[in-house]
Order: sequence, then C-alpha cells, then structure tokens
Amino acid sequence: MLSLLIWLPILGAAIIGFLPASVPTRQIRNGALTISGVALLWTIWLLLRFDLSEAGFQFREYLPWIETLGLNYELAMDGLALVLVVLNSLLTWITLLSSSKQTERPRLFYSMILLVSGGVAGAFLAQNLLLFFLFYELELVPFYLLISIWGGAKRGYAAIKFLIYTAMSGALILAGFLGLIWLTGAADFSYQSAMGQTLPIGLQTLLLGVLLVGFGIKMPLVPFHTWLPDTYVESSAPITILLGGVLAKLGAYGVIRFGLGLFPEAWSNLSPVLATWAAVSILYGAMAAIRPKDIKRMVAYSSIGHMGYILLGAAALTPLALVGAISQMVAHGLILAILFHLVGVIEQKVGSRELDVLNGLLNPIRGLASISSLLILGAMASAGIPGLAGFIAEFLIFQGSYSVFPIQTLMAVVGTGLTAVYFVILLNRTCFGKLDTATAYYPRVVFEDRFPALILAGLIVFLGVQPTWLVRWTEASSSAMIATVPIAAEQRLAATPSITLTD
Amino acid sequence: MSQWLIQSAWLIPCYPLIGMLLSIIWFPAITRRTGPRPAGYVNAITTFIAFLHGLLALFALLNQPPLYLSVSWLQVADLNLVLPLEISALTIGATVLITGLNLLAQIYGVGYLEMDWGWARFYSMLAFFEAGMCALVLFNSLFFSYLILEILTLGTYLLIGIWFNQSLVVTGARDAFLTKRVGDLFLLMGVLAIYPLAHTWDYDGLARWAETAEVNPALITLVGLALLAGPMGKCAQFPLHLWLDEAMEGPLPSTILRNSVVVATGAWVLVKLQPVLALSPVVLATTIAIGAVTAIGGTLIAIAQIDVKRSLSYLVSAYMGIVFIAVGSQQTEAGLLLVLTHALAMAALVASCGSIVLNNITQDLTQLGGLWSRRPITGLSFVIGALGLIALPPLGGFWAILKLADGLWATRPALVGLLLVINALTAFSITRTFGLIFAGDVKPMTVRSPENLWAITLPMTILAGLVLHVPMILQSVDLLPDWATLNKDVALLLTWSSIFGVSLSAVLYIGNVVKKPIQLPWKPLQDLFAYDFYTPTLYRSSVVGSVDIVSRITDWIDRYIVDGLVNLVGITSLFGGEALKYGNSGQTQSYVLTIAIGLILTALWMSWSFLSHLTLTAQLISYITGS
Repeated sequence: MLSLLIWLPILGAAIIGFLPASVPTRQIRNGALTISGVALLWTIWLLLRFDLSEAGFQFREYLPWIETLGLNYELAMDGLALVLVVLNSLLTWITLLSSSKQTERPRLFYSMILLVSGGVAGAFLAQNLLLFFLFYELELVPFYLLISIWGGAKRGYAAIKFLIYTAMSGALILAGFLGLIWLTGAADFSYQSAMGQTLPIGLQTLLLGVLLVGFGIKMPLVPFHTWLPDTYVESSAPITILLGGVLAKLGAYGVIRFGLGLFPEAWSNLSPVLATWAAVSILYGAMAAIRPKDIKRMVAYSSIGHMGYILLGAAALTPLALVGAISQMVAHGLILAILFHLVGVIEQKVGSRELDVLNGLLNPIRGLASISSLLILGAMASAGIPGLAGFIAEFLIFQGSYSVFPIQTLMAVVGTGLTAVYFVILLNRTCFGKLDTATAYYPRVVFEDRFPALILAGLIVFLGVQPTWLVRWTEASSSAMIATVPIAAEQRLAATPSITLTD
Repeated sequence: MSQWLIQSAWLIPCYPLIGMLLSIIWFPAITRRTGPRPAGYVNAITTFIAFLHGLLALFALLNQPPLYLSVSWLQVADLNLVLPLEISALTIGATVLITGLNLLAQIYGVGYLEMDWGWARFYSMLAFFEAGMCALVLFNSLFFSYLILEILTLGTYLLIGIWFNQSLVVTGARDAFLTKRVGDLFLLMGVLAIYPLAHTWDYDGLARWAETAEVNPALITLVGLALLAGPMGKCAQFPLHLWLDEAMEGPLPSTILRNSVVVATGAWVLVKLQPVLALSPVVLATTIAIGAVTAIGGTLIAIAQIDVKRSLSYLVSAYMGIVFIAVGSQQTEAGLLLVLTHALAMAALVASCGSIVLNNITQDLTQLGGLWSRRPITGLSFVIGALGLIALPPLGGFWAILKLADGLWATRPALVGLLLVINALTAFSITRTFGLIFAGDVKPMTVRSPENLWAITLPMTILAGLVLHVPMILQSVDLLPDWATLNKDVALLLTWSSIFGVSLSAVLYIGNVVKKPIQLPWKPLQDLFAYDFYTPTLYRSSVVGSVDIVSRITDWIDRYIVDGLVNLVGITSLFGGEALKYGNSGQTQSYVLTIAIGLILTALWMSWSFLSHLTLTAQLISYITGS
C-alpha cells in the first residue's frame, strides 16, 4: 500500500522522461498532474484507513533486499510520517498546478518533480536507516537540476551551493547512522533495532550532534542556513514550493525521527541547548528578514525562523509541544507554499520582486487585487494570526514548552512579533500604496493563477478554525515518542510545579 | 419562542459573519456589473437581524438566570480547549449595543462613502468587527478573548487601510497593527503563563482560582502586567496610544465604531480579568497609574489638536484611562457603566463631526466656525453627545463618573480629585471643539453648509436620542442611585468641575474676548501637547530604532560572517572560491562528480570497520587477499 506512494511517481517520472519529443507541453503537464493526483487520492485513502488510536507504525511492508549489508526494504508509517506524506503528495500536486504551461524542457522538468516526490515519500516512510539515506540522497540530483536549469540569473551558484550543503548534510547523516549501528553492533540498519540502543551517554551525544548538524543543514537552522536564501530566490516558483514546503520538512522530520527517536536520553540532556538554539534561530531569522528588498528573499528568511519553532517544540519534550511541532511542519508547508506561489505570480505579472518597485497591487481595477488579498492572508497566517493554521501550531508549541523553557518560549513569542514586522513591511510596500497607473499594464490574472492559492488558502483557514483536523493524526504517535524518554518525563513532571510555582 | 431566542443567541456573531462572506461577491475584482453597493445593503440587513435577535433575546433574558453553553473546540494531549459561552443580560446587552451602533454606522456609511468604490471591503470589515466583538462578549474565556483580540488587530489593519493609496493611511495602518500586536503578544505571554498556575482560562474559573490562589508575588506581578498589556494596546493607553490617533486617517463611519466600541474590547477584557489583576497590588497600582497618565495626558493633548477627529480620539483614550482607573481601584461595575455611556456619547459626537467634515471638506478646526445657525441639527447632536460624555446631570456620563467617584470617595480621595481634573479638562476640550466648529465667525470653508442627506442625519439624530435616553435605560435596570443614597458632595463637585471646564472654555472659544488662535504663554509646552508628547519621535528613536539597528546588524552578520565564513571554510578549501560563483557551465558537472566520489569515499571510510564485520564483505576481502 505504501509502496505505491513511492513507485507511482517514480514510474511516472520514468514514463514522462521518455515520452517522444512530439508530445506538447500541456499534455505532459496534464500527465504529471494525473499521476500526482492519483498519488494524492491514494494518500487521502490511507488517511481514512489510518488507525488514530494506534501509536505505533502501521501499514508495514517488508522485503528483504541486501541482507548482508543490513539494508532491507522496510516501510511503515506512524502519525508523524502520515501527515508529512500527505503534505508531500498535496504540495507536489500544487507545485505541478503552479508550474507554467510554457515550461521549457517539460519532460525533464516534470519527471524530475515526480522523482523528487517519490523520493521524499520514500524517505518519510523508510523504516531502515540506510533506505532512508538512499531516498534522502535520491532527491539531491533532481533538485540540483531543477534549480540549475529553470532557475533565475544566479542559478548556477545557487544550485552548487545547495548541492554542497546538502551533500555535507548527507555525509554527516550517513556518518551518524553508520556510527550508531557500528557502535551498537546491531544486526541490520532497521529503525526498530536501532531504537533500543543503550550506548554510553557521551557517545549518544556525539552521534546526536552529528545528526543534528546534518539535519540542521537541511531544515535549515542558523548558522547552517545560508544556502537557503540563495537557493530559494534563484529557483523558479514551483520549485521553491517543493523546496520550502517539502524538502525542509525532511530535515525537520529527521531531527524528530532520528534525533529524538533514536537518542532520547541524549536529547533530553541537550534539550536546554536545543531550545536556546531554536530561540536564537527564530529571532535571527526574523531579524534577517527585515532588511532584504526582495520579497522572495523575505519569505525565504521567514522560513528559517519558522523552523526554529519546530525545534523548540521538539526540545520541550512534552506531548503537547511535539504535536505542535509536527503541526507546525504541516502549517508551515502550506503557508510557505501559498506565499511562494503568490510571489511567483506577482513576479510573473509585474516583472519584479523588488519592494521599491512594487506598489498598490491591491488596486481592484489595474492591480492584482485577488492575488494581493490572498497574499495578505498568507502573510498573516505566517505571522501567527489566530483563525489560520499557523497560529494553532505555534500556540501548542508555546503552551507545551512554556512550563519547561519559559525564557526560550517568551523569546519565541517575541519572534512572532518580529514576523509581523517584516510581513507588514512586505504588505505595506506591495499591496498598499499608490499604483503607478502609467506603468501598470499587467497581464490579466487568470483562474489558473489563483486556483492553487485558493486551495491552500481554504486549507489554511479550515485547519485554523478546526485545528482538530491538524492535530488528531499525530497525537498518539507524539505521546508514544515522548514516553520513550522515561527519565526526562519524570523529571519534567516533578519539575513543572517547582518552576512555575516557586520561582 | 423566547427560550429558543436565548438558546440560539450564539447565532448573533454568525449573522454579520455571513454578511461579511457575502460581501466578497461584490468585490470589484469579482463582480463589476452591479457595482459594490449591494454589499452595503446585505450587511445592513444581516446586522439588523443580529440586532433584532439580540434585542428579543435581551427582553427574554431580563428575568431569567444566565445560560452557559460550551462547545469542545480542540482536545490534544493534556490540553482541552472548551469554548464557553455566557448568555446573560449583560453579554446580550453588549451585543445589542455593538450591533445597534454598527447598524447606525453602516447606514451612516451609505451616505458618507457615497462615491467610494471600496464598499465591499469596507462593509465586510465592519461586519468582521461586529462579529468579532459580539463573539468577544459572548465567549467567557481568556484564551478565546485573546484569539479574537488578535484577529481584530488584523481587522484594524485592514479597516484603517481601506484607502490604501494614501501614504498616511498606509503608515497609520502599519502602526496600528504593530502597536496592537505588541499588546497582543504580551497578552499571549500572560495567557501562556497563567495556565500552568490556574489550569483554566475560563474567566469564572480564573476568578474562583484567584480567590484562594497562593502564588509567588513576583511571578503573578509579571503575569498580571503581561495581561494588562493587551487591554492597554486595545484601549490606546500610554504608551501604546499612538495608533488611535493615526487610525483617524481611516473612513469616518468606521471611526464611529472604533471610538465607541472597538476600543472598549480592551476594557471588557480588563474588567473580566480584574480578579486576576487584583492578586498583585503592584498590577492594580500600575493599572491606575497608566489610566491616570493617559486620562490627564489625553485630555491635554486633545485640547491642543486642530484636527477634529484627533481631538475626539484623544478623549477616547482619556475615557478608557478612566476605565483603567476604575478597574485598578476594583470598581468594575462603574467601569462597565462608563464604557456604555461613553460609547453612545462618543458615537453621537463622532457622527456629528463627520456630518460637518463631509460637506465642509475639512477636518481642520481652524478653518471651521460659525456653523450653529447653518447646522442646527448637527449642532444639537454634538451638544447632546458632549453633555452625555461629561459629568453633568442628568445625562449618562454623570451617573457613570459619579458611581466611580462615589466608590473612591471614602478610600482614595486623591483619585476623586484626579477625576475632577480629568472631567474639567474633558469639558474644556469638548466645549473648545464645539466653539471652534459652531461659534465664531464664518470661514471660507463654512460659508455654504447645508445639513446632509438622511443617511447621515438619521443615524446621527438617533444616536443623540439614545444619549438622551441613557438615564431612563439606567433607571429601568436599577443602575441609578436613589436620592437617599446619593453622595451629594461628590455629585456637586463633579457638576461644578464640568461647569468650570465648560464655562472657562466657553469664555475663551465661544465668546469673542480672546483673539484666536489661542496660544499657551509658553510655546514649547503647547508644542509638547500638539505633537502628542513627541511620542512618534520617541518611538522612532527607541523601539523602531533598535529593531532597525539590530536588523541591520543581523543582515550584515548574515551576509559577511555566517555566509562568508561558510563559503570560506566549506567552499574555498574544496574548490577555490571564485570559480564556483561563476561555475554554471560544464564545470559544474565535474564538481558534482567530485562531490559524489568524495561522498562515497567518505561513506566507505566511515563504514569500513562495520562493513568488514559483515559476511559478504568479509568473504570479499578474504577472496581478494587470497586468504
């Protein structure tokens, strides 16, 4: 059942890649949309079949592969993987919808996107460390091509930077995995056998550190983030949606699944450091987003800050905060996707992303009124206004982490305030203001430009008003994951009243 | 029937919400054919339904106990968020006030925004506010209050920004959003911090908890101050007051609503939070201090304004300051009463000023004058609004301030003195505004000035009528003191302070004794008031300035240190810096290859000892080495 999510897009990628050159772009795009649509429907079906009360892994699949290497084809999913797989399927579909109908070299473009989608799904579902690593590395080359062929002016530089960083990240993760298996002497690389490890705490911390840096590059966390603004800005709009919405989540997923999941003891020792790191990341990302004059770069920097919330939620080690962190992944994926899509439309219609050039786009006659309205919604969702998906995720993180790390949580709250600062700058300069009617002869916004944003906006509002649909999937898994940190859990229960009542 | 009306009172915020969603249809970007006007009519209808429902439910509720409903909103881990609704005469009465004022503002808008193309946006935002405020009063939980206050912050941003192509509007909207957001975020901190202590966010639960709570005084002081910051932002209290002044750039019909009920959302939450605030004497003292500073400062600034809307808006801050004093001195009932009387009186004042501004095409007080004979209806409405605001019997403001002063008389006489000063200053300010508009010589801008069409005049006169009826409403719900218990000393003092303020101002601004414009003897002092204590400059050099500097520093660090260092270490050592930046030709492939090979080698090296354990590799090795 799960294999379909991986192999359908990959097979589709192969078919589309080898279509004859005579097939028109539009048909290739429709073909890709169909394949990813089927994958999306399949994901939704899995969502319906998913047993919410079951905390462990479901839909297990096992196929022996290279047993001598300890590498087997093992798939399964729990709540954490489930929501991210849904996000992946959805955002792939949105990415395809958002892509231009006049894309150059369409066969390569669409097959690469499908390949990425399959690879990411595989990484989320893999239950074997080496298998995860294979899928994790699989999306590297397609992304490199997607950035370097269809990107902006400095795409070569951006693509190489992305490649080097991601390769570093891969190397560190592999090192971490191999180190873990080697030191524990486990029989194979399966997640289950790695989970119950009882290494000395020093070694655990070392391995956790290696993995954190590895996944921290991918997320990204400050100071490993500098590939992100360049890469996001230089990529075309659909690719940015994939990069920000899905790929970044792979890093966050890795941190939670393999950092927290495999090294609970070391994680709980390090958690104050991690929470501080998260708070610094949030404030730094927000501060760095205030200066740029390029709206895409601003949105890109916003992503850095928002990744910090995920780390904060994971560091707090309370079920509530972890549910919040996972919800934040989904919410952030949706919000970033809508923002990048709209920025892409603005760039395409107006021909600029510069704050100093854009003005008064909310003008209903000559501007891009509907696009601007949706941009306001997206930006406000990102700034954490209640009633939209971003708020509830952040709130759960804050509420869950406040009793454990009050100072860091309050710093993160300040971070949401700063998020509002740069988004208001962005909105004031692009949507508000006076449209220069002498130059404002923009192409018409057609329904296809709005459609992906409307879907995302609908989801953002729905999940904001009915957050149960955002959190219910992950609750059991999060609680189970926190329960594997026995010492920490007891300490927290004992510590909570003393922190809040006596201090 | 009446039972059904009460049971379904939760629908009251839903009607305007439906109206808001329907207005989207008439956005110029969606429907061009009909123009945007139907949006206004649809919203007026939904508002009327909400008003009617509220009114009928209120009558049904008058002799019934309150009804408490609850809906589960979110249950996750150990957090169970239940949405509690309180349907009582007080809350439904508040929705009647909100929907009623909103209905009048919407009708007013029909006349005021006659030529505007932003109807759909404007009316949907008015409905948004209406829905939000009705929900705020019905929801009996701090968490949901926070939620709504924060959403309304966004609403403020959009509502002020209706005329977004004017630069002052854009900055006004920005400042309103950010100032209120600062308050909201402190409130959020308070919301987060109170839960581990009280384990509830319900106001009733918080009040019960506060009765017996034993908490660390330092902690509860911090929490209380954080909780105080939210209402401070909403009520435009010092130092978060600037947004209300800038919000005057927005359209006037929304000002009717904003100056009367939107600012009162903060007061409502403050009143509800009073038991928690009372846990710390420091917080109560701070509440009083903030209120006192705002009230005195606000009235002084109002006197120095030449913009009629701004002059009124500072009085709003001042009155909310009095509410802060009331809550700080634990006179919550007087605070709520003041909110009610202030809302109606201020709405009448703003509506009549708008009626002047609209067809004299200026809101500059120095260009107005001599309108009494030309605009008698507007003039009367203004006078009634003014009398309803200040403490002059028999209208509403008097009874509210009397109740507060009476409560303070025995315990804190100093605050009564303060109230007398504030009241005299308010009376002075409002009479000055009246004098500058209606008395004196006719100016070029006021030569031709007829009364407006019914859509403006009708809501204005209805508001004036409501102000006149406030004492009767109060009488019918037993809120007026009878003659025997009336504190006659305080009543006389208040009356005299009003008379003093009014007559001094009348001598200066209505009588032709002093040459205008009237200047204070010392110019810097006048400037200090006229320029709002230089708060904008203060902001710019403190908060805004420091964020700006830190963001510059961060940007620099990001560009030259973090990125530069990484480039230096990571890339230069591998490939030699510059080549890479231009490497989008065939060279990149060789980089990819290098990386891939390097990766594999690293992997092999890292895993060597592991691999050598495995059977396959062991066999391979033995095969190769031949052993």
